[in-house]
Amino acid sequence: MLELPLVTAGETLDQFINGLTVGMVYVLLAAGLSIIFGVMDVINFAHGELLALGAYFAVAITTAGIGNFWVALLVAPLAVAIIGGAMERLTIRPLYGRDPLYHILLTFGLVLIFVDAIELIWGTQPFRPLDTGVLSGTITILGFQKTLYSYFVIVMGAVVAAGAWLVLERTRFGLVVRAGSMDRDMVRHLGIDIDRYYTLVFAFGAFLAAVGGVVFAGRQSVGPGMGGSVIIPAFIVVVLGGLGSFRGAVAGGLLVGVVQSFVRWQVPFLEGLVVFLLMIGVLLIRPQGLFGSPEWHDPGEGGELLTAAGSGVLSTRRRRLLGGGMVAVLAIAPLGIGVLYNSYVVNTIVVDILIWGLFALSLDLVMGYTGLVSLGHVLFYGLGAYATVLFAVYLLPSIWLALVAGILVAALIAWVVGYLSIRVSGVYFSMITLAFAELFASLALKMPGLRAQINPTLDSLGLPTIPPLTNGDNGIGADAITYGLTGGPEFGDVSLLGEIHLYYYVILALVVGSYLVSRRLIDAPFGSVLQAIRESEQRASFLGYDTTMYKRRAFVVSGALAGLAGGLRATQNLGRASPGFLDWLLSGEVIVMTLLGGMGTLYGPMIGAAGYLSLEELLLSNGIDQWQGVLGIVFVLFVIFVPRGIVSIPSLVKQRMDSSSEAPPEGEPAEVSD
Amino acid sequence: MATADDTTATFGGGEPVLETKGLTRRFGELVAVDDLDIEVGQGEFRSIIGPNGAGKTTLFNLISGALLPSEGSVVFEGEDVSQLRPHQRVHRGIGRSFQITNVFGGLTVRENVRLAAQAAIRERSPFENAFRHKDSFGDLNDRTDDVLARIGLDGRGHEQASTLAYGDRRRLEIGLVLATDPQLVMLDEPTAGMSAEETRATMELIGDVLGDRTVLLIEHDIELVMNASDRITVLNRGEELATGPPAAVAENEQVQQAYLGGGVL
Amino acid sequence: MARGTSNRKQRTTDQGSSSRFGSRRTFLQATAGAGALGLAGCLSNIGGGGGGSDTITYGVVSPMSGAYSSLAPGQRNGAKLAIETLKEDDEFDFEIEGVYADGQTEDTASVQAAERLVQEDGANFIMGCISSSVALAMNEFAAEEQVIYNPGAAAVPITGSGCNEYVFRAETNTAQIAEAVSEYTVNNLGTEVWFHIADYAYGTSVRNRVEARMRQANSDLNVVGSTASELGSSNFDTYISQIDNSDAEVVVVGMTGGDLINFTAQAVEAGLTEDKDIMAPTMTFQVVRGALGSAAYGLYGGVRYVSTLDNPLNNTFREAYMNMDETSGPPDNFARVGYQSIMMTAEGIKEAGSTNVDDVIDALAGLEMDSILGNNQFRACDHQALNPTWMGRCVEPSSGEVADVELLKKVEGPDAMIPCEETECSL
Repeated sequence: MLELPLVTAGETLDQFINGLTVGMVYVLLAAGLSIIFGVMDVINFAHGELLALGAYFAVAITTAGIGNFWVALLVAPLAVAIIGGAMERLTIRPLYGRDPLYHILLTFGLVLIFVDAIELIWGTQPFRPLDTGVLSGTITILGFQKTLYSYFVIVMGAVVAAGAWLVLERTRFGLVVRAGSMDRDMVRHLGIDIDRYYTLVFAFGAFLAAVGGVVFAGRQSVGPGMGGSVIIPAFIVVVLGGLGSFRGAVAGGLLVGVVQSFVRWQVPFLEGLVVFLLMIGVLLIRPQGLFGSPEWHDPGEGGELLTAAGSGVLSTRRRRLLGGGMVAVLAIAPLGIGVLYNSYVVNTIVVDILIWGLFALSLDLVMGYTGLVSLGHVLFYGLGAYATVLFAVYLLPSIWLALVAGILVAALIAWVVGYLSIRVSGVYFSMITLAFAELFASLALKMPGLRAQINPTLDSLGLPTIPPLTNGDNGIGADAITYGLTGGPEFGDVSLLGEIHLYYYVILALVVGSYLVSRRLIDAPFGSVLQAIRESEQRASFLGYDTTMYKRRAFVVSGALAGLAGGLRATQNLGRASPGFLDWLLSGEVIVMTLLGGMGTLYGPMIGAAGYLSLEELLLSNGIDQWQGVLGIVFVLFVIFVPRGIVSIPSLVKQRMDSSSEAPPEGEPAEVSD
Repeated sequence: MATADDTTATFGGGEPVLETKGLTRRFGELVAVDDLDIEVGQGEFRSIIGPNGAGKTTLFNLISGALLPSEGSVVFEGEDVSQLRPHQRVHRGIGRSFQITNVFGGLTVRENVRLAAQAAIRERSPFENAFRHKDSFGDLNDRTDDVLARIGLDGRGHEQASTLAYGDRRRLEIGLVLATDPQLVMLDEPTAGMSAEETRATMELIGDVLGDRTVLLIEHDIELVMNASDRITVLNRGEELATGPPAAVAENEQVQQAYLGGGVL
Repeated sequence: MARGTSNRKQRTTDQGSSSRFGSRRTFLQATAGAGALGLAGCLSNIGGGGGGSDTITYGVVSPMSGAYSSLAPGQRNGAKLAIETLKEDDEFDFEIEGVYADGQTEDTASVQAAERLVQEDGANFIMGCISSSVALAMNEFAAEEQVIYNPGAAAVPITGSGCNEYVFRAETNTAQIAEAVSEYTVNNLGTEVWFHIADYAYGTSVRNRVEARMRQANSDLNVVGSTASELGSSNFDTYISQIDNSDAEVVVVGMTGGDLINFTAQAVEAGLTEDKDIMAPTMTFQVVRGALGSAAYGLYGGVRYVSTLDNPLNNTFREAYMNMDETSGPPDNFARVGYQSIMMTAEGIKEAGSTNVDDVIDALAGLEMDSILGNNQFRACDHQALNPTWMGRCVEPSSGEVADVELLKKVEGPDAMIPCEETECSL
């Protein structure tokens, strides 16, 4: 399997063309994403959905008989450009000047809305690829046969990219965009109202994505999952090429396409891993990407990070009382089972909220306190789940030791990932953590295949072989997880009275304990340095703090807590861990919860988890089919109108009431106390 | 190197605290700092002046570690610190303030100072550092109170730093430098944007609280520089034009031509 | 193989060794003794294991959102039709209700949805899920909650290594399909074979089983090459070029859904079918044929179900399905599974004369009955329905563009399933 197949020049050229074909679509997608980021600092998660919209419009145009492929190629992108412009006007505009983090919440909400809208209009059944007319069929050049469409994609991509380049180089619009992506303030100082150009920039990016979508639809079926499947590769291309660099997007797209193509062909076991390794490698050597400007990321220009710290209207003592009361309510909640509600509410929903609350708390430690936006936090959650389950499967079934194993493994990997990632900052950090998470997610899926390849070699060398670690997509489950060291009653089994279960109290205690430990950490000198880093990392380092080391330590603690959350979640998933535990969308969800609740407060994200999950449960249990869209709309409204999260609502109300008599207060000191 | 008065003499007769040797920093084609050899003596009050783009802030960044040199070295108390990271240089005794006010705006005034004081006390156990409440360290509280009093912000510790008036924020900035207890204090335009009244008060504060330390100052206000400095270094296009006592620099023809354009001195 | 009640009772009370993780009610039964059972049942306040309700509440958990959202409506509608049919049918004299939830193609969400249906809505029977990881988690859930579960996924371990007594599967598994396609393919389409699979459990299982069965059927089998793409890939040029440059006569594709559609569309476009045949166990799925259009003509595939099967039960089903408000076309395989799962389970309830889960399990295992796929049973040793399978070919239809399925060869139910001893399931 591992020996290299015979390679001829023809085959190599063949695969090179394959790589360019895929690469060109990446270029179209990434160019818009990169420009939008470069000029406006917007991390547009909905960019993939714009591509999907382009594809769907093309399908609609061709199937309704309005026009053929060529008409669709022109009309669909224009329509999507209008939608992109509207998106910028209505939702993104109110957020300028804030940290790019808020765009994650916003565009995450937009993704949900777009996906649901697409399913509502076009249904979930995939559509067949577009009829490309004269472009269908094959052509033989230099002795090998390829689809004519491949050549078309390459030519088309090159033409569009060249056109976009000309627009950027030769027009006033382009001049402003290029200048803006290097130094926005300078452009403003020159007296140019760069904000006016934002709508155009967004529409331009949407146009390019939609062209990509139509080109895609010419060779693959069009379904609702389309947008989600391209967004990660697109991010990788953008980061690889350098944020905000058009040249980078072109080079990155083609590079990824060609590398992917050759790896699939020559080293197939690296398939699915290589792009992430490529990105991690490039960022470690050139933290600003291939064509990014090293001076581009100015830490002073991050935009306003709206933590909810200090936005409470309650005194420390009253807040502490409230927190204690909350724990007391949770402690007696099971008594109401069968009377006020049934066991599902407590034993499933509340437990779920507690575990997600812990996960969100862990993220808040790095995101809310040091300003590190980890898009790969699901990695530690997933590793915690797998390690907990594997410990119970192969070593001892003890719940305590298994959870500790989950915590340790998550902390260890967090140390490694943190060591490598924290040297890059801002969005690059988000992306490199995302790449690590995806790397492991891919590994979990590929593990059975890798074992099949590696084990015979290990066996022949007399080394122990690798036991099943993930069982791929089937997931792996422990037969029993017990309270005792080697056996005894099972974790889920010990009932105190009827449906009142011991495990509920164990989880409650672990989550509350984790909160208290985190709170103490934040109130200690260590925590105050983290807050200083969030406020101004540069200043903190010039006070004499080794900020990198502090961030790494916070990252390890955070990873450990996320690992505990993952381990606990696995116990509630019938003792099973599966690749779903490493799905990057969970990273998005936990960021959303954190922002929704109010970051930088520790308790806010937990409240955010409760709000998020309660709303989701409400929608699901009432059988609302468009539950995702409703969630999306709530996020969008929230990020625009309640940016500091749920915990800031009391002070918002107070402000509203006070503002009739006097000017709104500037905000209170952010001395964090519970 | 350009002619300069008396560049080799050390101040006060002792060993220089800070030396730059052939210090050079390029940004692409641009040479922001060009082959600088500067010596600053123990307890000296040295000002750096020069027109915009002369390389003053770049020099500060090179000394404090915000930038690494393209060539040459920075020697502090006999040790080459050129490759050290900023916090390591702070540990050696180099403290700096910033041209644009850079305090922790979201935190209280007291927390700002406390953080700086906390940074100066480094021999705590990791456990205490991570788990003991930050307000329970007596030495730290005393030191914080002391610094707050010296910068005249006592009684205002609970205010959020971002809500302070401009002049107060600059005082806080000086307080942050003071609290780290540096041997060499680098101040980057501490009076920029201040009224004449505020400027005088700030200079008095600097003289008061930092008087016994070695000070490196970037300042545009020539009168102020002339009054406060022991010696002045004039930079132009990254090169040293002259160094010497105020009077000598003021009379230097090259300086007058290049910098003052026939001047206001 | 009839298994007595005593057998199971022993199993459920034997705490440490064989009880699955977290069987909450089991523990109660084990510790509380007969007298306390009443109290426990009251506190637990739901149906399930031993609950005495006369009403069957069928919970249907389908991946309405997520990766399999295009397949889920069929499953839900088929199940719904079965429940509505049973409500009307006097032959089945129990009350039945349906409750429905979105499993999001994800195991934690599906388990939670099932928990909601069981505990909030009182479901004591569960049907649903399409992906294998979700179904395996649901297997565990069924054992924990002691509810009967009909998986809608095809992976072998669901009634193999991951089986338990509460799981009754009407979906045809991968091994049954491999039986239908392997021999025909190697003997009629060519012995020079290229395998292309998606790199996940289903793909590997297709490659392993089909290759093994082909080798048994024809010793001339020569595997020319084998490639695997990442699950969810959308561009297959690299592999298509490799296959095109090889001497393979037939390509066996171990993929489903979007992967299969895109691979096949691109392979046909690239001219691969000019001198090679393509065979995929799921090629005849309606969703695949629908998305391939005329590109599907001439491709081979396994057949789990086609709506045109002519027998009285299927004719009734097809007609009733097409008359549903929710549907606009004939039932596909997923609708068939939804319908057949519940109809077959209902036969067991009728036979048991009780809605008690334990009684139903005893009656249903090995019970011979008529189904829309003809004579059938949930085999006693692993509770796998003995569905027949077919080798089929997609052919140009008399009208419209979506290919019809021509049945080439049928393998009868008992012949299609691997012997009990080989299933890794011991019930």
